[in-house]
Amino acid sequence: MAQSSAAIPQQPAPTATMPAEEQEPASAFSLRGALRLLVATGSGRAGLTLFLILVALSAYVLITYPRDFGRSRWSSPLYWADNPSAAPPVWTTWLGKEAVRHQRFTLTEPESVTQRGAAEVRDFRVTIDHTTSEPPEFVSVTLSGITFHSRAPVVVISLIRPDKPDAPVRLANVAVQGPRAGESEPYRRYYDSPLRINLTQQDTASDALAQFFQQQYPDLTPPATLDQSLVDALFGRPAADGSGRIEPLTGEYTISVQALVADTEDEIAPMTVVYGGTVYGWMGTDSLGRDIWQGLLYGFPVALLIATLASLASTIIGASLGILSGYAGGVTDTVIQRLADIVSNVPVLPLLIFLVFVLGSHLYLILLVLVAFSWPGLTILVRSMVLQIRSGQLVEAARALGASKTRIMFRHVFPQVAPFIVAQMIFFAPGAILAEASLSFLGLGDPSIPTWGQMLEAGFRTGALYVGYWWWVIPPGMMIIITAMAFMLLALGMESVVDPRLRNVS
Amino acid sequence: MTAIVRTLAIRAITLLGVLFAVLLLLVVSLGVTGVSDKLLEANVNEELRAFRIAQSQTIRDPNQLEQAVAQRRVELEEFYGLDTPWYRRMLPQLWRVMTLDLGRARSLRTADGSNKISDIVLERLPNTVILLTTATVITAAIGLLVGVRMATKVGTRLDRAVAYFAAVSFAVPAWWLGILFILIFAFRLDILPAGGMYSNPPPEGFPERQLDLLKHALLPILTLVLVSIGPSIYSVRTMTMTVAQEDHVLLARAKGLPEGKVTRRHILRVAAPPIVTGLIFGLAGSLSGAILTETVFNWRGMGRLFFDAFSGQPDEGVIVALTFLFTLIYVVARFILDVLYVILDPRVRY
Repeated sequence: MAQSSAAIPQQPAPTATMPAEEQEPASAFSLRGALRLLVATGSGRAGLTLFLILVALSAYVLITYPRDFGRSRWSSPLYWADNPSAAPPVWTTWLGKEAVRHQRFTLTEPESVTQRGAAEVRDFRVTIDHTTSEPPEFVSVTLSGITFHSRAPVVVISLIRPDKPDAPVRLANVAVQGPRAGESEPYRRYYDSPLRINLTQQDTASDALAQFFQQQYPDLTPPATLDQSLVDALFGRPAADGSGRIEPLTGEYTISVQALVADTEDEIAPMTVVYGGTVYGWMGTDSLGRDIWQGLLYGFPVALLIATLASLASTIIGASLGILSGYAGGVTDTVIQRLADIVSNVPVLPLLIFLVFVLGSHLYLILLVLVAFSWPGLTILVRSMVLQIRSGQLVEAARALGASKTRIMFRHVFPQVAPFIVAQMIFFAPGAILAEASLSFLGLGDPSIPTWGQMLEAGFRTGALYVGYWWWVIPPGMMIIITAMAFMLLALGMESVVDPRLRNVS
Repeated sequence: MTAIVRTLAIRAITLLGVLFAVLLLLVVSLGVTGVSDKLLEANVNEELRAFRIAQSQTIRDPNQLEQAVAQRRVELEEFYGLDTPWYRRMLPQLWRVMTLDLGRARSLRTADGSNKISDIVLERLPNTVILLTTATVITAAIGLLVGVRMATKVGTRLDRAVAYFAAVSFAVPAWWLGILFILIFAFRLDILPAGGMYSNPPPEGFPERQLDLLKHALLPILTLVLVSIGPSIYSVRTMTMTVAQEDHVLLARAKGLPEGKVTRRHILRVAAPPIVTGLIFGLAGSLSGAILTETVFNWRGMGRLFFDAFSGQPDEGVIVALTFLFTLIYVVARFILDVLYVILDPRVRY
C-alpha cells in the first residue's frame, strides 16, 4: 500500500550524514557482524525469531502440500465435501460450549459375511458414541470403488439406533449400475468419482424414519416435518410428552453398510463414513467446508514469496538507478530523477488495481506492477547519499589512483550504501504483503494461489461478518499482521546496523 | 514573489506531467489489452439500441430498418474510431478519459437514476471528500498536539510505546481493522451501524439527518485515523526533536523566552515544512485507505464505487474514470500542499 512506500522518504538517511572519517572501510560490513548487531537489539531479536518461525512454517507447507494446492484442493468443492460448512474451531468448546466432534472412519474389512446361496452379504459397521443433545451436521457414506464380475452389487445403508437396536432404519439403497453394452469383466464403478451419499438428505431416509417412529412409538404423536429436521430426528425421538416435537436421544448409533455381492470375487473398496461435527479443526471451516487452518498455513510461503520477490526486485532497481543517477550525473541523472519524480507522485493503489484488472490477476503480474511503482523512493534517497559519498575523500583517493568509474561504483560507493539498502529492502516487504492483500480483498487476487487476502475477501463477500463467522475473518488478518510485523521488527533492528551512532545507545 | 510563482509553476508542470503519464498509461494499457475496443463497442451498441427504437416508429419495413441500423453502425464505428487500430484514436480517447465522457455505467446508478458515469462520480465524490478530509484533519491535529509533547519525552517508555505503535500501524491493513470494528461495535456490542451512510429510512430534519450521518461515519473515520495516527505522531515528534536541538532554540531559551513561545515561534515554525510533507504522505495513505475502508463500511463514496465496478460483471468505463479521478484528486491535493510548503518555507526554490 502507499502507506509504506510513502514512509520511505521520511526515513532519515543516516549514512549520508556520517562524517567522512567515521565511514567504515568497505570490508567492515560483514554478514556475521550485521547479524550480531541485529540480535543485540530487542526488536531485532523478536523480528528474527518471528521470521525464522515463518520460514519454518513455509518450509513445512512446501514439503507437505501438493504443488497445485490452490487448484486441486482449495478451489475444488469436491475435496471439502465431507467437511461441515461454517463450523467454528474445535477450541471454542473448551469454554464449555457443547459441540459434536468431527469423526471420519475408513472401513476396509466387513464385520460379518453371511452366505446367501452363491451370493454373500458383507456387513461393514461403524459405531458412534453420540453424547451431545445436538445432532451432527450430517452423516455421509462415500463409496470409493466397487468391482464386480457378474451381477451388480446392491448396497443398503441403515442406522441402528440406541432405543431399538433390533430395528434398523434403512436410510438409503444404492443400485450400482450393471454391465453396460460392450463393457467386459471386471466391471469397475466409482473409482474415478467416488459416490458420496449424504444420509441426512435422503428422501428414503425420511420415509423410513417416519415409518420407524410409527411402529416403535405408536402412542406418541409423530413429529410433523421430518424433512426439514431429518438429522435431528435421526438422532432423536418423539418427545415423551406427546407434543410432536423431537427430543435428542444420546447413546450408541451404528451405521451399517450392507453390500449384497453376487460373486465372492467382487470387491468393495474402502468406504468412508463421516460423522459431521459442529466444530472443526484448529481454525474452523468456511461456508464451503474448507479447512481454514490449511488455507492459513498455505498463506505463509505465498506471503514470504511476495515479500521477498517484490522487495528484492524493487530494491535492486531502485538502488541501481539511484547509484547510477548519483554517480553518472548529467543527462542520465536528469532523466532518472524526472522519471522518479513522476512515478513517486502517482497514487499507487488505484493504479495497481487498474493495471491488475486490465492485465489479469496473475501473481507475477501483481508483483511486476507493484515493483514498477515502488522503486522511486529508494532511487531519490540513494542518489543523495551517493552524491555525498562521491565528493568524499575515499572516492577522491580511488580516482587519484586511477580506478575506473565502474570499479569505484562497485568497490567504493556500493559498500557504503549497502547496509542502508538492505534495511530499506526489509522495510519494503510488509508494504508488498499488504498491497497483495488489498488487491485480493478487492477480488483481484490470483485465483490459482490462495492467499490470506483472498480468504478475507471470500468471507467478506459471502457476509461472514453479518452472521458472526469471526474465525473466517480474524485469523487471516492476524496472519497478515504477524508476517508484516516480523519484517517491521527486523527493519527496526536494522537501524543500529545502518546507523553506527545508535550502536552505543541501546 | 516571482521566485515563488516560478517554483510553483515548475511544481505544477511536474504534476501535470504525472497526470499526463497516468493518462497515457491508462489509454495504452486499455488499447493493448483490447479493453478500449470493448468499451467503445458497448457505447455503439447502446446508441444503436436507442436508434433502433426511434427509427422503428417511422420505418415499418423490417429489412429497411435493419439496413438503416447497419448504416448507423458503420457511421458510429467511424465516429468512435473503431475502424482504426487503438493507437490511431489515442488522442480522442485521452480526451474522453479526461472529460469523464466514458459513456454509461452498466448497472450502477445515481440516486436519481442517471447512469451517466460523470453523474455517478460527481454524486459520490463529496462523500469521499467528507470521509478523507475529516480523517486527515483529525490525524493531523492529534499528530501535532501529541507529537510536539512527545518530543520532550524522547527515550521514555511512552516514547518507545509510540514508536512501536507506529510500527504496528504499518503492519495493520486499514480495511481489516474496519472489519474488526464492525464485528465488535456493530455485531457484538450492537451500538454502531455496520455500514452505509444513513439509516433506512433516513431521518429527516436538520439535526437528526446530520447526527445520523455522524453515527455512520464514526467507525470508518476511527479506522482511518487509527492506522495513520501512529506514524503521524512519530514523524512530528522526530521533526520537532531535530529542530529543538538546534542552536537558535538554545539561544531563544537563553534569552529567557517562555517555553510556549519557544515551541511555537522557534521550533514549530522551523519544523513546519517537513511536517507538512508528512501530511502529504499521510494523505496518500488515506486515499488508498479510503478505497478499502469505504468498501468495508459500504460508504457510498468513490472507493465503494470502485469496488462495485469490479464485483460481478466488471464495468470498465467506471473503472477507467475512477482511476483517472483518484490520480487527479491526489495530484491536486499534492499541489495544494506544495503551495502551503512554499509559503511556509521561504528557502524552498527549485
